Amino acid sequence: MKAAANRLRLGIWAQVILLAVICLVWIYPLLWIVSASLKDSLGVFSGGLGLIPETFHFENYVRAWRDADFGLYTLNSVLITLGTVALVILRCALAGYVIARRNFVGKRVVVGVLVATLFAPGGLTIIPVVELSDLMGLLNSRTGIVLALAGSGHVAAVLLYAGYFSRVPRELEEAAVMDGAGFLRTFFRVMLPLAGPVTATVGVMTFLAAWNNFLLPLVFTFSRPDLRTLSVGMLAFRGTNSTDWSGLAAAGTISLIPLLVVFLLLQRYFVEGVAGAVKN
Amino acid sequence: MTGQGLAARLWSERWAYVFLLPTLLLFGAYTVWPIISSLYYSLLDWNGLGAERPFVGLENYREAFGDPLFWQSLGITLTIIAVTVPLRVALSLLVALVLNNPRLPLARLFRTALFVPAVTTTAIIGVVMGFIFDPAGGPVNQLLVDLGLVDQPIDFLGDPSTSLWTVMGVHMWKWFGITLVYWLAALQTIPVSVYEAARTDGAGSWAALRHVTLPMLKPFLIIIALLTAIETMQIFDLVLTMTNGGPYFSTLATEVYIYQQAFATSTPRLGYGSALGVLFGIFTLVLAAIQAIGIRYANRARSSS
Amino acid sequence: MTTLGRRRFLGLSGAALAGALGVAGCTRTSTQEAAARAADGGGVIRWWDHFQPLKPLHERIFAEYAKANPGVRVEHEVYNPNEMGQALQLAFKSNQIADVHSVAGLGLSEAALVASGWLAPLAGAEAIRAKLPADSLLEGLHIFDGKVYTFPIFSPRQYTTLNWFNRELVERAGGDPVNGPATWEEFRAIAARITRDGGGKAYGWIQGLAFHERLQVHVVELAMSAGAPLAMAQGGLGELGLVDPRTGEYVYDTEPFVQALEFLLSLVRDKVVFPASTSLDARTARARWATGVAGMFFDGSWNIGVVNGQFKQFVDKVGVGPIPSPSGKPVLYGAPAPGQLFVSSQSRHVEAASGLLARFAGPEYSKELAAFMDQVPLDLEAVKRADVHPTYKRAVELFGQAVRLAPSPLVRNPAIAQVMSEMKSPRPTLGELTQGILSGEVTDIRKALREYTGKMAAERERALKEVSGKGVKVSLDDWKFPNWQAGQDYTAEMYR
Repeated sequence: MKAAANRLRLGIWAQVILLAVICLVWIYPLLWIVSASLKDSLGVFSGGLGLIPETFHFENYVRAWRDADFGLYTLNSVLITLGTVALVILRCALAGYVIARRNFVGKRVVVGVLVATLFAPGGLTIIPVVELSDLMGLLNSRTGIVLALAGSGHVAAVLLYAGYFSRVPRELEEAAVMDGAGFLRTFFRVMLPLAGPVTATVGVMTFLAAWNNFLLPLVFTFSRPDLRTLSVGMLAFRGTNSTDWSGLAAAGTISLIPLLVVFLLLQRYFVEGVAGAVKN
Repeated sequence: MTGQGLAARLWSERWAYVFLLPTLLLFGAYTVWPIISSLYYSLLDWNGLGAERPFVGLENYREAFGDPLFWQSLGITLTIIAVTVPLRVALSLLVALVLNNPRLPLARLFRTALFVPAVTTTAIIGVVMGFIFDPAGGPVNQLLVDLGLVDQPIDFLGDPSTSLWTVMGVHMWKWFGITLVYWLAALQTIPVSVYEAARTDGAGSWAALRHVTLPMLKPFLIIIALLTAIETMQIFDLVLTMTNGGPYFSTLATEVYIYQQAFATSTPRLGYGSALGVLFGIFTLVLAAIQAIGIRYANRARSSS
Repeated sequence: MTTLGRRRFLGLSGAALAGALGVAGCTRTSTQEAAARAADGGGVIRWWDHFQPLKPLHERIFAEYAKANPGVRVEHEVYNPNEMGQALQLAFKSNQIADVHSVAGLGLSEAALVASGWLAPLAGAEAIRAKLPADSLLEGLHIFDGKVYTFPIFSPRQYTTLNWFNRELVERAGGDPVNGPATWEEFRAIAARITRDGGGKAYGWIQGLAFHERLQVHVVELAMSAGAPLAMAQGGLGELGLVDPRTGEYVYDTEPFVQALEFLLSLVRDKVVFPASTSLDARTARARWATGVAGMFFDGSWNIGVVNGQFKQFVDKVGVGPIPSPSGKPVLYGAPAPGQLFVSSQSRHVEAASGLLARFAGPEYSKELAAFMDQVPLDLEAVKRADVHPTYKRAVELFGQAVRLAPSPLVRNPAIAQVMSEMKSPRPTLGELTQGILSGEVTDIRKALREYTGKMAAERERALKEVSGKGVKVSLDDWKFPNWQAGQDYTAEMYR
C-alpha cells in the first residue's frame, strides 16, 4: 500500500518536471518579448537562444507609456472589454436558457439562423456594421464599440449556455417555482449561478476577443483618438519605414499584464467556484 | 381556433421572447444584417469606395468558380482544419486530464503558462515568430543546428514547403490554451462524487479514466471540436501578420484571400470579395452539415447495435 | 495681378532666400483669414498622413500654425500605409474623414477619387501654383476640370533600388568603398566574396522578399536599368500603368524584365542572399542590414534617414551607389510627381485646410524636408544646401543623373483613369510571380511573363471596351507617345 502511494508520488513528480519543461518552452516566445522590451534597437536582432540583455533599457517602457498614450488606452480597453463581456454573458445566457428550456414558437428558426451564421467569414462585415452604426449615431462612442463587439457573433457562447442548461435537472427549476420564484428570479437566482463554469469560459473567450480586436475600435474612433484601445495604440510603433521593435515589445508586455491578472482570477473561479448546486 | 392557440402559446412563452430580445436585436443588427449586405454586395461590381456600383448579377460567382487561387485557398483552409483541429483537441484533452488532478502541484501555474499565448496580441505574435523562426541565428534554428538535427538552418516561414506547417504550428501554440480551458470546464462538470464512487469500486486511475471520465466527456467532444474548428477558420489575423498569405500563396487561407480581394489589392473589389465570402460560408456550412449527419449516423448505428 | 506675377517669378527663379521670404509672407496672410473662419466652425483641422518619419516636422508646422491662428488646432494622425487604405475607405463612408489626408493604400488614382466625389478643389490655388516650379501641376494628375486638387511635394526624380552597402564589408571583399559595384556582374562577384568571407556570419545581399509589392518595384527598376523604356500611368510603379511609350503595349515579357529576374535568381542560386530575407519586410531587412549581417541592401533615399534615427551606431559604415545595371550606366524613368495630400470633400473648413496645406508647397517646405533625409523634396536645390549625411546628398545626386521624366498616359488623357479603375489586376501579380520564381515554385520565367503580359493586355482591352462603351473617349493610342525619346525627359509641353 505504501509502496503504491510512493510510486504514485513519483509519477506525479515526473509529471511536474515534464510539464515544467514543456511550459518553459511554451512561454519562451513570450519571455523573448519581455527580453526584447529591455534591449536597444539593434540588440533586438542579436539572435541566439539567450534572453538576458547586455544592458537593460527601461526607457522603452517610458516611451511606450508616454508616446503611445498607454494610460488612456488601457482605461479604454478595460472599459470596452468589461462592457462587452458583461453584455455578451447576459444576452447569451438569456438566449441559451430559453433555447434549452422553453419550447416557444419560432425556436427552430432562431436556432437555425444562429447555427448558419456560425460559419460566415468575419472579415467582410465591417462595412455594413459601420454604415449601420453611423445611421444610429453610434460611431465615436465607447457604447457603439461595445454594442458592435457584443452583437457580432458569439453564437458559440449561446450554444455553450444552451448545452449546459439542457443538462441541469428539471427538479431544480421546479423547486424554485415551488418556492414561489417567477421566471426572472428562477433564472437569475438559480440557473445563472449554476452556469458558473460556462460563464467563466464565455467570459474568457469574449475578453480575449474584445481585448485583441483591432479593426472595430480603429474604425469607431477615427474622430476621437482619445477613445482608442491598446491594440489600436500599438499602431504608433509601426511606421512607414521603421518599426520600433523594443517599444512594441514593451507595449506588448504592458498590455499582457491585465490579461494575466484576469486569467489568474477567473481560473481560481473555475477551480473553487464550481457551482455547489450540481453536487447537491 | 389555431390562431387563438398560437396567440395563447405566444403569450404563455412571453418571457422566452423577452429573454431572446437582446440577442435578436444585437445579433440581427451586427451579424445577420451584415451578412445580408454581403449577399447584396456580392452581386455588384463594386470596389467599395466609389459611388458607382453596377449590378452584375451572378458574374462574381461565375468568376469565383474559375479562380484557381480561390480553390487553392480552400484546399489550404481544409488542410489547416484537418491537421490542427484533431491534434489540438486531442493534445489539449491529454494535458487537461493531467492538470485536472487535484493533487498535482503547481497545476495553476502550468495552466496559466499554457494559456498565456492566447492572450497575447496577434500582431505581436506575428512579429516575434519572425524572430523565433529566423533562419539566421534565430533560437529554433540555433537549437536544431546545435543539436545536430539539421546541417542547414531551415527557412521556416520563407520556404513555401515549410511555411504552412510553421503557421499551423504557431496557430496551435497560440490557441491551445483556449481548447484546454474548454476541456477543464468540461471536466469540472464531472462531480467529484463520481470519482469517489469509482474509487470505492476499486477502479484504478486508468480504469476510472476509461470507464468514467472519458464517457462523461463525450458530449463535450462535439462542441469543443466545433468551437476549435470555428476558431481555426479565423486563422486570418495570424496569417496576415506572419506571412500575408505568402510565400507564393503557400499560406493563402481563404479568409486571407477574401480580405486581399476585398480591401488590400491595388484594385480592391468588395463585390468579388463578398461573393468569395458567401461561397466560403456555404462551403463551411456544407462541411459542417456533413459532419453533423455523420455523427448522427454513427450514433444511431452504435445505439442500434 | 502684378503681385501674382511677382510671386510666380520668384518661385520660378529659384532665388531661394527671396522666394522663401516672399512665400512665407503670403502664406501667413492667406491662412490667417481662412483660419479665422475655421475657428467659427469648431476650430479643429484634422489631418491624416502616412509620413511617420516626418511627424516631428509636420507637428512643428502645425504648432506654428496654431500659434499664428489662435483658436485653431490641428489634430494630426499618422497611419501605417498598409492600414491607411481601409481606414480611409471606412472613414469616408461614415463621414468621418479628416479635412486633409493622404491617399496611401487606396489603390485608386486621383482622377477616380475626384470622380467619386472624395476630394475638394483647393481654395487659393493660385498662391500655391506661384510657389511651385512651372509645369509641376498637370491636368489629370493634380488638376481636374481646370481646378487644382493637389500638388507635388516630393521629387519625381527618385527610385527605390539604390544600392546601399556596408562600406567595411564591401571594401574587405575588394569592392569600391565609395560607389560600390556598378554592374550586375560586379554586384554578383562582391556579394559572393562577402558571403564567402563571412563564413555564415555575413551575406552578400539582404532584401525584404516577403512583401511582393516592394519586390515588384525592384524588378521594374532593375528592368529599366537593363533598358526597358516605360511610360507610367500610376505612382508607385503599379503594374497596370507601365507600358512601352513607343508602342503603348505591356512589355513584361521583354528581355529587360527576363534579365532582371534572372539577375535576382542568380543571387539566390549563388546563395549570397541573407537566409531570412524571404520572411522579412523592408523595415526588418534594413534593421538586420544595420547589424552587419549583410553587405548590400536595395532601398530608397530614406534609408539613411531611418538608419540615422534608429541605428546611429551604424551610420558611419553606410555607403551608397547607383542601382546596379548591366552596363553600369543606368537610365531610369520616373512618373510625374503626383500630389500627396488632399482636402476632403467632406471637410467643413476647405479654405482653412487649403491654407494650411499651402504651407507644404514650395522651397521652404523642401528645405525643411531635406533635413529629415526621407523622400526627396521637390526642390532638389534644397538638398545641396542642407546639412545632411553625405550619402543622402549622394543619393539625390545619383537620382538626378539617372532619372528621366516618364510620360504619363493619365496626363495625356485623364479618361484613362476610368479604364484603369475598371481593370482588375491579374493574379499572380508581377511581384508575386517574382516571389514564385525566387522560391523555385515558378521555373519557366519566360513562359510565366508571357502569360502575365497576355492577361494584362486582354484585361486592358476588356476594360477599354467597357469604358468606351459608355461613350467615354479613350483609345489604345492614348498610351502611345510618338514624340518620346529614349533617355530624355518627357516634359509638360510635349503632351500638347
